[in-house]
Amino acid sequence: MMPVAYSRRIAALLLRFAIWIAPHDILDWGRGMLSELNHVQGNWAALIWAVGGAGVLAKHALLSVILPGSHRRTISFASELFAKEGPMRKTTLAAIVACAVASLLFFLAPVFRQAFHVSLAQWNDVFHIRLTLRYQESDLELEALARKAERNHDAEGMAFVAIHHWNKSESVRLADEAVHLDPKLTWIYAVVAVQHSSLPEIDRWVSELEQWDSQNALPHIIVAEKIDIDQVVHKNIPHRVQEQSLAWHNALATAFQSPKIDDYFGRLKDLDRRVLLRYHIDDPFRAVANVCRRLPSYTAQDTSRYAKALLESGQTMEARGDRKGALGKYWAVARFFQMLGPSGGFFVRRELQEAYKRLEALSEKEGNNAEAAFYASLADQLGQDAGKELTSRLNSFRGSDLSHWNAFLVRLSGLTMLLCGGLLTTCALAVIVRGRSLRLSSLLPSRLTLTLGFGGAVGLLLSNAMLYVSYRPYAEILQRFIRNGDESGLSELSDFLASTRVPLGAQGFIHVWEFVFYFWFGITLLCILALLLVALRHFQHRTRANATI
Amino acid sequence: MKIPRISPQTLRVLERFIEHPTAWRYGYELSRETGLKSGTLYPILMRLARFSLLETKWVTTEDGVPPRHTYRLTPKGVELVRSLPGAAPAAARVRRPAFSGGRA
Repeated sequence: MMPVAYSRRIAALLLRFAIWIAPHDILDWGRGMLSELNHVQGNWAALIWAVGGAGVLAKHALLSVILPGSHRRTISFASELFAKEGPMRKTTLAAIVACAVASLLFFLAPVFRQAFHVSLAQWNDVFHIRLTLRYQESDLELEALARKAERNHDAEGMAFVAIHHWNKSESVRLADEAVHLDPKLTWIYAVVAVQHSSLPEIDRWVSELEQWDSQNALPHIIVAEKIDIDQVVHKNIPHRVQEQSLAWHNALATAFQSPKIDDYFGRLKDLDRRVLLRYHIDDPFRAVANVCRRLPSYTAQDTSRYAKALLESGQTMEARGDRKGALGKYWAVARFFQMLGPSGGFFVRRELQEAYKRLEALSEKEGNNAEAAFYASLADQLGQDAGKELTSRLNSFRGSDLSHWNAFLVRLSGLTMLLCGGLLTTCALAVIVRGRSLRLSSLLPSRLTLTLGFGGAVGLLLSNAMLYVSYRPYAEILQRFIRNGDESGLSELSDFLASTRVPLGAQGFIHVWEFVFYFWFGITLLCILALLLVALRHFQHRTRANATI
Repeated sequence: MKIPRISPQTLRVLERFIEHPTAWRYGYELSRETGLKSGTLYPILMRLARFSLLETKWVTTEDGVPPRHTYRLTPKGVELVRSLPGAAPAAARVRRPAFSGGRA
């Protein structure tokens, strides 16, 4: 417990400080409170006395800052005199207005507007139910951008929309127009074809791609995938690789013989950056949409099946004594999967390891021990790297704790902002409706309205500040990427944005649409309850009125 | 004439003053009698003084003890409070025992 003398000393210090900050015209009152402190019985009572008095002086200090000159007013209307809460109301109203204005000023900062947009992302799935259920929805921003790009004959702008658009026909139209205007953009056919694998235009696009970038394996993989999809559509799914069509085999054979595989990811990122800068698009979701884009997932599936077939055929050749033919098959598998790199080849590492083992066995049979040892070491290395790659993939899938925490803060502050803004608006409307006028003098908020309004205004200001502070580092990462192509922190930004899309409270649900269902169920239930309450009160009122008559 | 709205706290303070309109009162004494904390009492006193309904004075009680701020209703204040419908009767009705030795 605090020693006796201390509380009185603190009380005196507190009052002296309050006198120091108080406006000149109320100094006497402050000194009066201080002199009374000597007569207050009890140390704790003295402290309470000082706190109350200091509060009054501080309030006047604040009022004199916000409303200069308010302390030299001379009026003597009885009605004004006895409106006891007048000055307190004025102070509170001034504080509410100050907080609301400060909150609105945040919107002048582009970073804050961006942060606000990100904080609203959690409502996307809740309000755009069609999108949650995987239906296509029109994207007004993209459509406006497409119109602008077409007006300006901007091929890159059209290519950007073609890549980002959900609508297949619009994507195809814009991609064709973009390539027509600038044939250097032919690569966008591959990107759009990867997104929409069953387009009838793919055959035409692939032949153009083959001419434009003849050494790339990607167009042939796209062809193989289209054949797969057509088979699924026609319910003619082959169960073995040998049952696949000749076209499928030819496409993958060409892919395996191609000297390179390029997913055009580098070109895509550069195009995105240029268009974002040109059209001043600061939507972070749009900016990072292609950041994690890699080879299509079906690359691994198709090539793995084809590689197995190659390995089997190599084994058959080996059994027949055609070691050279077998070597060619094994080597084709090993070379293609090496070309995919550690990230692209992760899902086909077993086939690659198998190819190395077969090459090792073949070399041993030919008495080439050094070569055999080399292939053995490659197979071992692959096994060791697989563990590391898996851990790295899992970590990248989970995302960092920091980005999750910041995403939580952004979602929370966004939610608080909406609630506090709603509360403040409701209070303002209630006061205006009750006063039936917009004149300041006729607005007489009750103590409850003032308290709620003050809470709403302060909450709004604090949540704005929290939103700004939590989002600012990510805005810097985004700006560095868009302006300079600096990709450091981009995966962190991507994790963060992915987390902000999950509505608060939806973590416990396996699918977001389950949360959306329960959310709207809850809202409907609350509405029904509110209606019942209104109906009940209405009938009660009627019964009372009848009883009076 | 429009009847002014008087807060119960202001009314309580006025009751104390109107009992002995000529007596000078201390802040702490008023606080104890009305049960109002300093944070509520002083704004009321300040407002009454601002409208010239209350006068203030510094008084020295004994040597070595700092002077005390004291308060009393002005004639205008007494007149106005008595003319208020409900205020004076209420003051007359509600009579609470004053603490002894409080007047200057």
